[in-house]
Amino acid sequence: MALQEKYQTLLELANQNGTSYELSEGDGVLHINGTAPSEEAKQQLWDEYNRIDPDYRGGDLMLNVSVGGAAAGGGGGHTYTVESGDNLSKIGEKYGVTWQQIYQANQDILKDPDKIFPGQELKIPGA
Amino acid sequence: MKVKFLIVLSLAVVALMSACGKSDADLQKAVATKLAADNVTGVTATVKDGVATLTGEVADITVKNKAAASARTVEGIKSVTDNTTMRPVPTPVPAPADPMLQGKVEEDLKKAGCTGAIVTIASGTVTLTGTVPDAKYAECVKVVNESGAGKLDNKLVRGK
Repeated sequence: MALQEKYQTLLELANQNGTSYELSEGDGVLHINGTAPSEEAKQQLWDEYNRIDPDYRGGDLMLNVSVGGAAAGGGGGHTYTVESGDNLSKIGEKYGVTWQQIYQANQDILKDPDKIFPGQELKIPGA
Repeated sequence: MKVKFLIVLSLAVVALMSACGKSDADLQKAVATKLAADNVTGVTATVKDGVATLTGEVADITVKNKAAASARTVEGIKSVTDNTTMRPVPTPVPAPADPMLQGKVEEDLKKAGCTGAIVTIASGTVTLTGTVPDAKYAECVKVVNESGAGKLDNKLVRGK
């Protein structure tokens, strides 16, 4: 758990700038896999990483953050048209992403993750 | 001795004054409300003598920090004992087989303009050596971080 402590400001920043992420840990390495809402948000995370570990020499973090949503520009994302009876978790399962990632990528059109409507076009971030 | 007595007396007065404030039950309710307002889930607070004790399992350290910070802001809470635990995180998805990873990393480094970077891979750990243009340094590190490798042993040198 010490690694989460070391990189806690990075994780706090991810929460603040709308990056959804999942953690895993093994072999003394913390993996942060996530989707940032913009290139700028992703860069903020890398700047923070560089502040904690100048020149990235520590070998104890793998920061794998892609840019989701419209800014991805063909980064493996899809568009999905909502059908009756869908919810974000169900759609996420189809593409192997979490509902949070879909919600983050579509915050421009979704106000509430529980409210989606048939016919809405959702951006699905790359899995 | 006199000084000691005065200290004890003033402490007693402070304790008495705070006892006149909100009851523990009120405080406990206030902390629970504050935690909910701050979207902290999975944390239970109990308050005794103005001290909030937090228990529960949280998703990660950011939730842990937030829970303690939120509880501290509640008026009347003297201190916070954080007994929350962090949910164990899963082990990472295994890295692709070394030859595959090697191919991917080398190709991505080339695309990123990281000429001069030398890649060696053993059991999913990527070791980067060589000298890359200074302006490309961060990008080269990023490429490996995003390759699915298990670990990066970064020995890259910044060139000109």
